[in-house]
Amino acid sequence: MIDLKDIKKSYFVGDRELQILKGIDLKISRGEFVVLMGVSGSGKTTLMNIVGLLDKQTEGRYTFENIDVGGLNDETLADMRNRYIGFVFQQFFLLPYLDAIENVLIPVVYSKKGIKHPREKAKGLLAKFGLEHRVHNKPAQLSGGEQQRVAIARALVNDPELILADEPTGALDSKTGGEIMHLFKMLNNEGKTIIVVTHDPKLATFGKRLVRIEDGAISEDITT
Amino acid sequence: MALFQKISQLKEFVEEVIRILYYYRGRAVFSFSGIALGILSICIIVTTIDGANKKAQEIFEMLGPDSIMIFGVGEKQRAARIRTSTLKVEDADLIARVEGIYDLMRVYSARNVMMRYRDRNWQTLVIGSTTNYFDSLAWKFQTGVTYTAEDYANAGAVCVIGARVYDELFKDEDPLGKTILVGKLPTRVIGVLEERGGSFGGPHVDDRIIMPLTTVTSRIVNEKRYLSLVRVKTNRDLDRTIEDIRITLRQSHGLQGSLDDDFTLRSSKDILAFVTVISGSLLLFLGTAAVVALVVSGFVLANLFYLNIQERKKDIGIRRAYGATRKGILLSFLFESVLITFIGGVAGILLSVVLGSTFENLFDIPMMFSLKVVVFALFFSFLTGVLSGLKPALTASRIEPIEAIRG
Repeated sequence: MIDLKDIKKSYFVGDRELQILKGIDLKISRGEFVVLMGVSGSGKTTLMNIVGLLDKQTEGRYTFENIDVGGLNDETLADMRNRYIGFVFQQFFLLPYLDAIENVLIPVVYSKKGIKHPREKAKGLLAKFGLEHRVHNKPAQLSGGEQQRVAIARALVNDPELILADEPTGALDSKTGGEIMHLFKMLNNEGKTIIVVTHDPKLATFGKRLVRIEDGAISEDITT
Repeated sequence: MALFQKISQLKEFVEEVIRILYYYRGRAVFSFSGIALGILSICIIVTTIDGANKKAQEIFEMLGPDSIMIFGVGEKQRAARIRTSTLKVEDADLIARVEGIYDLMRVYSARNVMMRYRDRNWQTLVIGSTTNYFDSLAWKFQTGVTYTAEDYANAGAVCVIGARVYDELFKDEDPLGKTILVGKLPTRVIGVLEERGGSFGGPHVDDRIIMPLTTVTSRIVNEKRYLSLVRVKTNRDLDRTIEDIRITLRQSHGLQGSLDDDFTLRSSKDILAFVTVISGSLLLFLGTAAVVALVVSGFVLANLFYLNIQERKKDIGIRRAYGATRKGILLSFLFESVLITFIGGVAGILLSVVLGSTFENLFDIPMMFSLKVVVFALFFSFLTGVLSGLKPALTASRIEPIEAIRG
């Protein structure tokens, strides 16, 4: 599903070139649960952005679902993100003016797939995560854990193959964080491919595979 | 590219923008009140100008396209509000002989004459005229008849009253055959005119009574030599007739060389031109106001939008991550901006309907509200929305998702 070959990424800070990723080779297949671990500054978020088609590598070749995404334009990339990837972020990023179900429905607005009965589906996802009584609450009225569960429902509404989560527990206490990780485990058992990016060593054991990034390169890749 | 796969997606999109507006309603109100003011001015301009033109057409038709008025006061004296007439009775006879003239109406008017019926008093304009007065002005009767040639010859104490005078003196009573006091003269009411409306700077046109000229000059005021006004109709070229009348009168008044006319000639063309000037200056003043209001509110809107985009960077990022294209973001922000100005425009139109009737009553400016106004106003609000929203929307669409998400 994901095939990264010698991915390099560098930024220019002034006229000094700053190399964030120094040649990453990584293959991830359907149904995996990968925890991408690294300290801040290791390049893990940059890697996730590239994997999530939000950013482009400077060098190397990235094949996603057998498509070389290197030369794709904005519109096609946007459509691929919408079709294949569900994002979950540390700060939840729910839109404050929409209630829970409307937040869940955001990907549907941009979807070309034509999902049937999206409202029922969104409601079902919220119910699945124990939020049936929160359907019409605004984000400000929800707890952190509840907000993150709404965000996960949003990531799932379009039936993507891949869930990409960037520090999904970073803004939550450890108990709630654990609940969220169990949720990912459950989704993985249902067949979703999941990548969780984190610096928190406690989360390492949740995945089936642990990839450690240090200083822009993969230092460890073990299947647990 | 099909941006929206289904109608339901479009609906979702529109609903979302409405929610966004509601959430940021504090700043939206600012922008749209400015727009509303601008649109209001545009509506008032269009309705007033349409109204003025319609009124001008009415005046034109009422006066007849072939009529000329001769006032016994020069332009300068008119400007100084001197009303001593120089138009002699013999002048009217001379004018009657000018080539092409087929109708001549003589008028002597007396202002502020007190009238009385039972316990009611009313001051009005008394017009003494020839028997062709009503035909000449194409002024119809609500009830009753005009005075006869006999009344004219005998200086009969009879009068036709304007609609306003009828309201003031009689209310709902039947006025025909009733006797009112005009000054000190007991006068029988024989007719009531239809309401015409309007004032054009002077007293209200319906606030007048009309009597035989002879009655006014011999029994109400003592004035045998002068007339206030002569009104003629010509079947010849209007400007040539005017010139002939001018020459006749200058000769009769002994005006030579560069001496100014001591009379004024007016044709219905002049009145039309006057109305055109008025609507022209209205267009200039209100137009400037409208443009300034729209431009200023456009800038305000654009600024608020910029602020908004900074604040909504994450919003943009999340939408981009979930599949919004640049175009989608651009459209959504543009739509938001247009919606604000649209609401402002609708508010402006509604306000102008309310204010328009107030205007009409206060200043006696006729307003013509039409579909044209609505289309005009909505077009301008749309234009403001697009123009002020375009730059910020472009900025928003260029934000990269990762940059937006990072904050």
